[in-house]
Amino acid sequence: MKPILRVRDLEKVFWVNKRRQGILGSALSLVAPQMEKVTAVSQVNFSLEPGEMVGYLGPNGAGKSTTIKILTGLLVPSGGEVEASGFVPWKQRQAYVAHIGAVFGQRTTLWWDLPVIDSFELLQAMYSIPAERFRRNLREFTEMLEMERFINTPVRSLSLGQRMRADLCAALLHEPPLVFLDEPTIGLDVVAKERIRQFIQKIHQERGTTIILTTHDLSDVEKLCSRVLILDQGQLLYDGSLSALSQRFDGRRLLAVTLANPAEQITLEGVEIVSRDGPRVTFSLDGHTHDPAALIQTLLARYPVTDLEVRRPELEVTIRRIYEEKLLQPAGQA
Amino acid sequence: MRSLTLYRRLLSIQLRSQMQYRMSFLMDVLSTGLLNGTYFFSVALVLNRFGGVVGWTVGEVAFLVGVAEIAFGLTDMIFSGFDADTFSPMVRQGQFDQLLLRPVNITVQVLGSSFLLRRLGRILQGVIILAYGLWMTPVVWTAAKSLYLPVVIASQVVLMGAIFIFGTTLTFWTIERVEAVNILTYGGVEMMGYPMDIYSKGMRRFFTYVVPFIFMNYYPALYFLGKTDPFGFPAAAPFFAPLVAAAGMGLALWFWRWGITHYQSTGS
Amino acid sequence: MRFFWEVVRRAFRQETTYRLAMWAGLATNLFFGLVRAALLTALLPAGAAVNGMDAAASVTYVALTQAMIAFLRIFGMTDVSKSVYSGQVAMDLLKPTHLYTLWMGRELGKAGFNLWGRGVIFMALFALFHPLVFPGSLGQAGWFLVSLGLSWLVSFSWNFLVNLAAFWTPDARGVARMGFLISGVLSGFYMPLQLMPEWFTRLCYWTPFPSLINTPVEIYLGIVPAGELGVRLGLQLVWFLVLAAASQAVVRLGIRKLVIQGG
Repeated sequence: MKPILRVRDLEKVFWVNKRRQGILGSALSLVAPQMEKVTAVSQVNFSLEPGEMVGYLGPNGAGKSTTIKILTGLLVPSGGEVEASGFVPWKQRQAYVAHIGAVFGQRTTLWWDLPVIDSFELLQAMYSIPAERFRRNLREFTEMLEMERFINTPVRSLSLGQRMRADLCAALLHEPPLVFLDEPTIGLDVVAKERIRQFIQKIHQERGTTIILTTHDLSDVEKLCSRVLILDQGQLLYDGSLSALSQRFDGRRLLAVTLANPAEQITLEGVEIVSRDGPRVTFSLDGHTHDPAALIQTLLARYPVTDLEVRRPELEVTIRRIYEEKLLQPAGQA
Repeated sequence: MRSLTLYRRLLSIQLRSQMQYRMSFLMDVLSTGLLNGTYFFSVALVLNRFGGVVGWTVGEVAFLVGVAEIAFGLTDMIFSGFDADTFSPMVRQGQFDQLLLRPVNITVQVLGSSFLLRRLGRILQGVIILAYGLWMTPVVWTAAKSLYLPVVIASQVVLMGAIFIFGTTLTFWTIERVEAVNILTYGGVEMMGYPMDIYSKGMRRFFTYVVPFIFMNYYPALYFLGKTDPFGFPAAAPFFAPLVAAAGMGLALWFWRWGITHYQSTGS
Repeated sequence: MRFFWEVVRRAFRQETTYRLAMWAGLATNLFFGLVRAALLTALLPAGAAVNGMDAAASVTYVALTQAMIAFLRIFGMTDVSKSVYSGQVAMDLLKPTHLYTLWMGRELGKAGFNLWGRGVIFMALFALFHPLVFPGSLGQAGWFLVSLGLSWLVSFSWNFLVNLAAFWTPDARGVARMGFLISGVLSGFYMPLQLMPEWFTRLCYWTPFPSLINTPVEIYLGIVPAGELGVRLGLQLVWFLVLAAASQAVVRLGIRKLVIQGG
């Protein structure tokens, strides 16, 4: 199948004005500014098949929003190629944006003083959505997102969760095959988050919509995306499945036992104790060198134990380790 | 055509949301109207005492002021989306990006993003001053003159609108609004409210060759009021206004488009 | 008292950071000044004078009034009403000074900077385009400074009073604009009162507004009729006291409303 989005050697360089000190300096900066080159994105390569849903991850300042801006046609890159739904986004912006949907969780695309439904109708006119298709989609989305209660309320009086649902609906009414979701669950409570995740999942499955999801909430990614892209300092560090990622970087397992006798001294040959809290002791096992089953048997044979638990480190911890310990090298240079 | 329909819909939204606050709207209309009106009142009191200025009667000056005020009130209402005061926060807070994400002409969207109905106050005040001017000046209104007056007002609106667009485009580079543009907008209306004869040669040259305000209000007024031209321009000078306006708007739109390209290559 | 001067000092320092805005403001004031001066010089050809105002005096009048815009905040001040809307006023009420005095301190700091940055510098710039008149004697200059100080006090008290409308209406901006449009005409800011019809000038002197602008400028130009100097200064002082007292009373009512109805 032909990819719906293809990004090749994407690069974005900004020139920022370096400020000089003092009055003389600022006067000088006006006449002869000292420019400094900042590379926001470089050597980014990836492509998406129609119907994929990928998580786009990276710490603050990694270049995520720069990439999204380029892919949505808001920003012109300094180098590289992008082809999305057959368009070059920044060259054919006005035509291209009719074929994508975008939600920026931090701000709304709806009209502040208007009832939600009026905003939708205005978008219908802007995207020239045929009346029949508009009605059908609206009915379906209203039901799925449970919007009946507030569809006639002005946007300014909506709660954050309601507003986000309305914004999602607004971005999808014209049935775009490619959708960018930037922090669609930011600031929401657990229930609201879950409702939004279910909706995204459903749209993805039922309509085969291709979705790029940028988020800080890794549970979004864990629940929704089988594939992730990790960006740091403007470079793509990882492109692959989430499970392979944790397998590769955190083959560790945490083994927590609660001892029947809190005073017992406990040791296991070659296994590190990460914490001890009263009777509760946590070991860190290396999945590659240790055999968990054998170790547990040894342990149970030697010490009376009231409780035992094996778990994987949380994804968040893994990802943080990748950023902080620079566990990954840029894929482009490999 | 589609743009026009959309523009009309965006306008109706603007009007509807402004009418939600009726009391403060009326107060705004009244006070902006009176604010500019009292200024003319002061000037008229003084001019009356002197019987006019440089051969222009109070009524003739009122004609100049009235036309310029109506036109500027209209500009401020129609082009308020391009008011740097509303536009530069729109860029900083990312709402401009939201507009770029919609498959509709960006200029139409910015125009439709604000329509300050309360400027009616200033327009109304201009109408009253113009009516006073017409009442005080014994001018024979031919069909040609009556037809040309709306054209002159429209031309001023277009040229002032062009300056709004120009000033707003500058904010892509400066981020903050550029104060100096106020000199051309607010200063421009004030300047056009008096006969050009009162200004020094340098100022007159500036407003003839750099920013050709002289053709927008003064020369048309000479034609309407049947006065002779002291500066010896061609007899067609009163009819330059639409041309100047079209040229100004053309330049401004070109600059605006270039500004957007620049914005797209630097981000915010 | 030490707190008051600390407020003044801070406001002054804050104002100095807006240097770019200062030059932009100067450019705008300069342009409008040139237009207004052009009108007045056209009205008063060489040799002509009305009530002691000739071309040079009227140009100086324009220069002075334009130079006082930022110092007296002639185009209106809405900071106090904004603080009422934002709730900042509740914090201000906790400070060890009266609300009126607190704001006076803030405004005095700004005015101190603008007297120099937008006043003296403006006069110097304007002098590049038009020859200006200077006070005839040291005494005259001294009385001008006294009058200017008093006009600041009247202006501040008036602005403060108008802003207090915010305690009662969500649209204090409209009220402030009304206040400004009255004071613009009656203070002689738009046009010198000396050039207005006599009946109108007499009317103006029943209001506080000539004390804002017209009085210090006429003293500077030395066109106050003999023996009236004391009366004019006295009038300024009286208006300051009246407006200050009114402000205090209205603040008290406003706070009572704020406390009872919670804003």
